[in-house]
Amino acid sequence: MDKLLLFVLLAVLHVRLMALQLDEERAMHALFELKHAVNRAVHAAAQQTDPALLARGIRAIDEEKAEARFIDYLRANLRLDGTGRPMPGSPLREPAELVLFDVVNADRTFPYRYRNEQHGLDVTLHGPGVVAVIRAEYPRTYRFIVPIRWTVKGVAELLPDG
Amino acid sequence: MKQILVFVLFSTIICWVMFAPVYRHVAIVRQALLQKEVDYLLEVGASGRYGYIDGEMIEASRGRLESRGFNPALLEYKVSTDNGLDASNPASPVPRGTGIRLVISYPYGNLFVPDRLIGLDPVPGGARMSAAGMKMSEYVPVR
Repeated sequence: MDKLLLFVLLAVLHVRLMALQLDEERAMHALFELKHAVNRAVHAAAQQTDPALLARGIRAIDEEKAEARFIDYLRANLRLDGTGRPMPGSPLREPAELVLFDVVNADRTFPYRYRNEQHGLDVTLHGPGVVAVIRAEYPRTYRFIVPIRWTVKGVAELLPDG
Repeated sequence: MKQILVFVLFSTIICWVMFAPVYRHVAIVRQALLQKEVDYLLEVGASGRYGYIDGEMIEASRGRLESRGFNPALLEYKVSTDNGLDASNPASPVPRGTGIRLVISYPYGNLFVPDRLIGLDPVPGGARMSAAGMKMSEYVPVR
């Protein structure tokens, strides 16, 4: 009888450890997916040159278009629907939150050092660029780990050589 | 009789306990490899130099994934764009501003069959894991 009890306890311990390990592994991959999504979204946003200013020879970013494209690409990469809710196949279960979206436009002098104490951002931009921070929660499969919330930052710039 | 029953029960549970973390890990790693491959192909394909993901790039990608233990014949690649242009033709790369979307999928196969040992329904063999991404093309035509 005591052996049976030991066996059951070991099996429970094992399943808990396995669940812990799998969830942590998946949480890391979710972070990579979020980072790539943010990278692609800021990349798309930084390519939205303002045609009116470009005609005058100034390479600047159209801020409204940039934000719209950022959201389009974030949704496409994280598989979110038009209202930001995750669709089947999405790495998330709750909508991602856009914490910060900033355009550093052509009116600054470059190289420009962008700093944001609150989010621990410190980047040097060599051309007009876009900075974004999103926050999203990793959907746990099991309840053995504490909720993991990832804060993901991304920067892209518009440079003469692409 | 009772002991035989207990032995059969315990041995199936021990088998499952030994192998379950392994094949779950395999599933996660395969999914991650597909995601990395999508990232790589999009990074190259959407760059200013190409602006497309053609059959040749896809063949090279199948080769890379084969060296990681995938069966290349079962990998499925879907290349599309957000505005309906064809992104797989090297003769007409998609211009800057168009998003190139890539989906790679691979069947789960018999990976989750050992789950039957403890009475769980395994993932159906025909189900496919997939990784996807969309990146804006940087290609600008040279006149």
